[in-house]
Amino acid sequence: MASNISGNAYALTILSPIKDGFTQDEIAYSDIVRDRLQGWNAESNSPMTLTPQTYLCRFFVLDDVYTESLPGASALDTIVDWLPFVPDWARRCALPAEDHLKSRYLVFSSNFYCGPGGSVDDYLRGMWNAIGDRVQDIWGYCYGFEAVNDADSFIAYMKKCQLTATLFFVGANDDPLEEQLKALYLKQEFAKFAVDNQGLSAAELKQNFQAFFERVQPANLSAPTWAAGKYRLD
Amino acid sequence: MSNIAGKAYAMNVISPLRPSMTWLNKFLFWSAGTLPGVLKGLITLSLIHYARWVIIGRDQFPHLDETQPKEELSYNYMLFFSNFNGSWDQYVDSFTFAIPGGLDTLWKWTVRYPKSVPLTPFHDYIRYNQIETIHYYNAYPLAASNDVKSAKTVKSSLIKFNQDTQNLSDDEFLKSYNTLLRGLQHDLGDMHPTPIVSMSAYQVERRQAWHEKNLLEQQEQSHGK
Repeated sequence: MASNISGNAYALTILSPIKDGFTQDEIAYSDIVRDRLQGWNAESNSPMTLTPQTYLCRFFVLDDVYTESLPGASALDTIVDWLPFVPDWARRCALPAEDHLKSRYLVFSSNFYCGPGGSVDDYLRGMWNAIGDRVQDIWGYCYGFEAVNDADSFIAYMKKCQLTATLFFVGANDDPLEEQLKALYLKQEFAKFAVDNQGLSAAELKQNFQAFFERVQPANLSAPTWAAGKYRLD
Repeated sequence: MSNIAGKAYAMNVISPLRPSMTWLNKFLFWSAGTLPGVLKGLITLSLIHYARWVIIGRDQFPHLDETQPKEELSYNYMLFFSNFNGSWDQYVDSFTFAIPGGLDTLWKWTVRYPKSVPLTPFHDYIRYNQIETIHYYNAYPLAASNDVKSAKTVKSSLIKFNQDTQNLSDDEFLKSYNTLLRGLQHDLGDMHPTPIVSMSAYQVERRQAWHEKNLLEQQEQSHGK
């Protein structure tokens, strides 16, 4: 019924419980995880640029769950307000329960190209092979991560932490990342070409277009193209 | 924290869901994902890259070790993750204005959901239940979701155009070229960085500028001596 896959795109949702403990300097493990992730923001680009096929992904720490509770806002609550002889315990029953988590969770949510096979294994293997040391840095304080020492154990661990998406919506497209980046490069270059080549004679335009087509090589996905995570036009 | 990566914003919302209503909520999600046309409203919100809903049962939070305490919760939880272009207000309001009924159908089983109309209580609800992202990565910070879609059209049109015009005379080529431009007029356009491409990029560039300025001052001082 529910599925992590839509076409060739995959929605990976990971909740890894963080150990409830402190370092010798009395810093909570969850704060170390948070601090290390924050450190990624100060690098020239995200380590996730190296993980193949990642469209967009995010990390955060889930400290607790939230229940918005405004007194007198539910239907039952309104009824008991009209009946002043109703005891307090009945009034309290009409309010939402107050939930709290016993562990903090590292949440990793990624959207990536999985191909027609729809497997998460290749993606996680690529992630481990590309940034295994950074992964250990972030997940090192999570329950059960001690058993992770190679790509296979990492995949097994992540699958234990994985949640299934109830509904996954793809609003962009589900092409391979290289295909998307090449297409963006072409769009940018062709827009420039169209502006720069206005008003030319037919012969000149044809000649320029052929030179342009040779330069941008639309069928070649490896180069020239945009790099993953490129945030400046140089 | 960084909810922004280029033109994309990362939204995370967690909402408690009454266990007695979860089956119905799951059924509605299944209908939305299965029946043709139900997601039409969501597709009209072309500012979305990818979005997902995840329902976690109160006893389904990952438990990996005997020493990890087991969760004891009263509610199931619905997590919502979205990647969209534009500001928080633009996004939240676009739901209210474009698909209020559809949004309410999927969300109204959560505790204290105020409905998407009127705006202010809906804003308050999302703000209260939203969790900030610490690190957000976007493979194409310069592009909006519409850029990704239109780029695909540009690429396939260019390849086809090149094949079709190989043996044309100059004048025929010009005619075809004009047709190509007319066909792509909604898909072309420059992409540029937003004022703050990402919090990380902004911080890095600020630090680089500071170092460069300091270096220049040091060099000037040593030349002055």
